[in-house]
Amino acid sequence: MPSDLDLPTDGEWRMVESYLPVLVFIVMALGLGVLLMALGFILAPRNPDDEKLSPYECGFEAFEDSRMQFDVRYYLVAILFIIFDLEIAFLFPWAIVLEQIGLFGFGSMAVFVGLLLVGFLYEWKKGALEWE
Amino acid sequence: MIQLTIFYIFAAVLLVAATVVITSRNPVYSALFLVLCFFTSSALWLLAEAEFLGIALVLVYVGAVMVLFLFVVMMLDINLAPMREGFARYLPVGLGVGAVMVAEMALVVGSSSAEFAEGAIASTVVEGGDSNNVRLLGNVIYTKYVFQFEVAAVVLLVAIIAAIMLTLRRRGGTKHQEVAEQVAVHKADRLRLVRDPRGKHDNQ
Repeated sequence: MPSDLDLPTDGEWRMVESYLPVLVFIVMALGLGVLLMALGFILAPRNPDDEKLSPYECGFEAFEDSRMQFDVRYYLVAILFIIFDLEIAFLFPWAIVLEQIGLFGFGSMAVFVGLLLVGFLYEWKKGALEWE
Repeated sequence: MIQLTIFYIFAAVLLVAATVVITSRNPVYSALFLVLCFFTSSALWLLAEAEFLGIALVLVYVGAVMVLFLFVVMMLDINLAPMREGFARYLPVGLGVGAVMVAEMALVVGSSSAEFAEGAIASTVVEGGDSNNVRLLGNVIYTKYVFQFEVAAVVLLVAIIAAIMLTLRRRGGTKHQEVAEQVAVHKADRLRLVRDPRGKHDNQ
């Protein structure tokens, strides 16, 4: 009983086929990583003692905890990056179908980019891109 | 058969990784296992022929959002002991939010597929037979759903302004170069010729 939304089975196979190289790469990367770590684990000599395993900085005892607060401006850079990353994600399908959606699609993207341009000018003038 | 095997492998990895995200003691490990979750769910979406969403998940979430998560985790200077104290206190709120999310997902999954079939994407799939996911999405995002598309731009604009207002702090006393001024300087601004008071000098 085929309904409208049943996908054809050869279509399902198509996805596996077209992304097979990616799958092969994942398996090989995983296999190589596990292999190298296992070789190191098996072959390397191991004589652990307390002093060898304790954390140190440049030969000294650790001066402070490795957890320390970051400056908040890293966060600002990251969030500005996310916003323009999202803008790019919207540009890809637009570029592919630009011929089909015509002038209207072009205009809608122009408004979209224009709105983000306002944000970009704001952050520029505000000095958020400066690293003091 | 192969497709099903791949699906089950990725689904199993996804479930294990998601479990580690919420059980791991170290928040940095949680964030990294969340990356693994995103990768495997991206693979599942590729199997479901949602190519654009799969790539966007890696591009946006793995590439950008997780960096932000790691920054937040490191910025908070998390001390683990007081966090575990608050577990019982935040449990009711967490359970409430979880229940709402489960209910929403149940509504989406359980609702008759007629509503989805009426949507432009589903109808295009059925009519055209063209299963290029990016093209199907692009055909409707910028035309039929143009209002939502522009609202997304406004939301992003608000996010830019809010992030700058909340986090931008000027720090006094920092020294920096003004390259433009350095380049634009003239000889007259810097160089002053003075007459040698001893008169004409002879290099002896």
